Amino acid sequence: MNAYPALTETETRSRPVVSGIPPRSSLNNKTYRCDVPPISRGFFGRRRTDVDPSRIPPGQYLVDDFPVLSAGPTPYTQLDEWTFSITGLVDEPVTWSWEQFLALPSELVRKDIHCVTKWSKLDTEWKGVSVDVLLDNVDTSADFALAFCDGGYTTNLPLAEMTDGQAWVAYEYNGEPLEPIHGGPARLLVPHLYFWKSAKWVRGLDLRDHDEPGFWESNGYNNHGDPWKEARYWSD
Amino acid sequence: MSPRRVPLTWRIATLARLQPETPSATTLVLDVPDWPGHLAGQHVDVRLTAEDGYQAERSYSIASSPQDSQLALTVERIEDGEVSPYLTSELRPGDPLELRGPIGGYFTWQIGDGGPLLLLGGGSGLVPLMAMLRHRVDSTSSVDATLLVSARSLDDVLYREELTTLAENGVMVRYTLTREQPPGWTGWAGRVNAEMLSELGAEPNRHARVYVCGPTGFVEHVADLLVQLGHDPHAIKTERFGPTGG
Amino acid sequence: MEADELHTDGNAIAGLLQEIFVAEFTTLERTCQSCGDRNPAGSHRSYQGAGIVMRCPNCGDVALRLAALPDRLVFELLGTWSRPVEPRPSGAALR
Repeated sequence: MNAYPALTETETRSRPVVSGIPPRSSLNNKTYRCDVPPISRGFFGRRRTDVDPSRIPPGQYLVDDFPVLSAGPTPYTQLDEWTFSITGLVDEPVTWSWEQFLALPSELVRKDIHCVTKWSKLDTEWKGVSVDVLLDNVDTSADFALAFCDGGYTTNLPLAEMTDGQAWVAYEYNGEPLEPIHGGPARLLVPHLYFWKSAKWVRGLDLRDHDEPGFWESNGYNNHGDPWKEARYWSD
Repeated sequence: MSPRRVPLTWRIATLARLQPETPSATTLVLDVPDWPGHLAGQHVDVRLTAEDGYQAERSYSIASSPQDSQLALTVERIEDGEVSPYLTSELRPGDPLELRGPIGGYFTWQIGDGGPLLLLGGGSGLVPLMAMLRHRVDSTSSVDATLLVSARSLDDVLYREELTTLAENGVMVRYTLTREQPPGWTGWAGRVNAEMLSELGAEPNRHARVYVCGPTGFVEHVADLLVQLGHDPHAIKTERFGPTGG
Repeated sequence: MEADELHTDGNAIAGLLQEIFVAEFTTLERTCQSCGDRNPAGSHRSYQGAGIVMRCPNCGDVALRLAALPDRLVFELLGTWSRPVEPRPSGAALR
C-alpha cells in the first residue's frame, strides 16, 4: 500500500518490479492484476542521479529545490515580539530578544539535510547560533530537550545530540534571512537527524531529565530519527 | 443521497485519446473497466511507476459528467512538475494508467441536490465545476447556474467553446483574466473582488449551492470575500489544490 | 487565521483517508474540541509535514494527525466526529 498521499511533491517507493516478468495487464481482453502496477513507459521522475551515493542515506533521493513541509499554517511572528528562551531544568531560565540573539556569536555552516519523506538536499548553507553557545548561558543537569515553536509544534532530542557542534538555531539560509515558509525568523537545525527534528519557527528549548516525545514522535515517527540507520518510524 | 460506497482499489485504465484544451492543459479521455460511476466534483488518484519501482501519485478532478461512458481528466502541465509533464507529453493512446476512485463525497453536486448553483473556479479549479455543469446539461436540468472563471489569460481558459455554448443557453458565465487581457477585452481583469461577486448576483439570500475550487490562495481569497458578503462559511464548499493549483 | 497558500484540504487526502477508514471520509462532520465549530472533514485544512495534519477551518486546532508507516497507520483523531448511517429504530441499543 502506498504510504504517501498526493499532496505536495511527495513520492513513494514501492518494491522494484522483477525484471523479465511483465505485469499481467492485458487490456485487450480486460484482465489485469493490480498488485503488479503497470510500468509507466518513459517515466523516471525528477530524481537526480549525478551524486556521490555515500552522501545519500538509505531510501533517500536527491532534490534541487527545497520542498516546503509543515504541520500547520506559517506563523508570521514579528521580530519585535520574537524571543528565544531556555526553560525547564535550569538554574535560571534565559531569554533573548531578536537583537540580543543576533548579537550572539554565530557560525556559517554547510550541511546536507534529509527529510523523512525521502528527499535529501546537499550543501545547504545556514547562519545561526550554535546550541553549545546557547547552553553556555545556563546551568543544567538535564539530559533532554523539547524544542517548542510558534504554532505549537514540538520535537524532542537528547542534549547529547544537540551539543558538540551538532545543532544550531539558524536565521539565515543561503545568505538571506530565513523565509517564513522555511521556518523564519529562526529554526532549529539538527542536520544529522531527519529534518522534522529541525523545528521551524522555534522559540526555545525546554530542558528536562526525562524524554518526552514531540509532535511526530508521539504519532508514529522514530524517537531518534537517524537517517543513516533509516530510523523513520516507531517500528524501526 | 450519499455517494455509493465502493472499495477504493487501484485499477488500470487505458488512454483512449488526448484532447488539447489550452497551450498548457490536456484532457485525458480514459476507458476504465468496471468503472463504478462517479458524482460530479469527485476526483481520482493517479499513480505512475518507473521501471525501477519508483512511484509518484497525484490527484486529478474528473472533468466528465457521470453520464459519460468514458472518464475524462483535464491535466494542467506544471513546469518542473513530476507527473503532469508525463501525462500531458509522454502518455499515448493505448497506454495503461493506474488510478483509483472515485474519491470525495463532500465536494460533489448532483441534480437531486438542487440549485441555484454558484460556481467559482480558478485555473484548473474549473475542472470539477465543469463536471457539474456537464452533468446539469446531460440531465436536461434548468437549474439556475452561475460560473465565474479566473484564469491568467484568455488562452488559459479551459473549455472556452463549451462555456460559450453554456452561456448562450442560460448559464451566466463570467471571466476575470488576472495577468493579461486581449485587445478590446470587456470582461473583468485582476483578482476576484467583492464588486465582481455582487455583479454576479452572489448574494447570500439567494441560498445558492456555492462551490469554490482552485489554487489554495484563490479559494481562501474567494471564500473570505463570500463570507464578507454575508455567506455562512459552512454553506461554501471548497476544494483547494495547493500552491501550484494542480 | 493566516491565509497560507501551502495547505490543501480534506478533499486532497480523501483517497488516503478512505484507505484508513474504509469509508468516505470527507463528509464526516467534526465538532472542534477547542472552538466548538462543526465542519465536514472536506473543509478542514490539510498540511503535509512528516505526516499529515488536518486542522479546524475555524480555529486552526489539530483535528487529525496521521502517519502512514509501511506496515501500519498511526493516527490521532481529535474532536467529536459524526457520520450519517441508515436510519435505525429509536430505542434500538448499539450492540
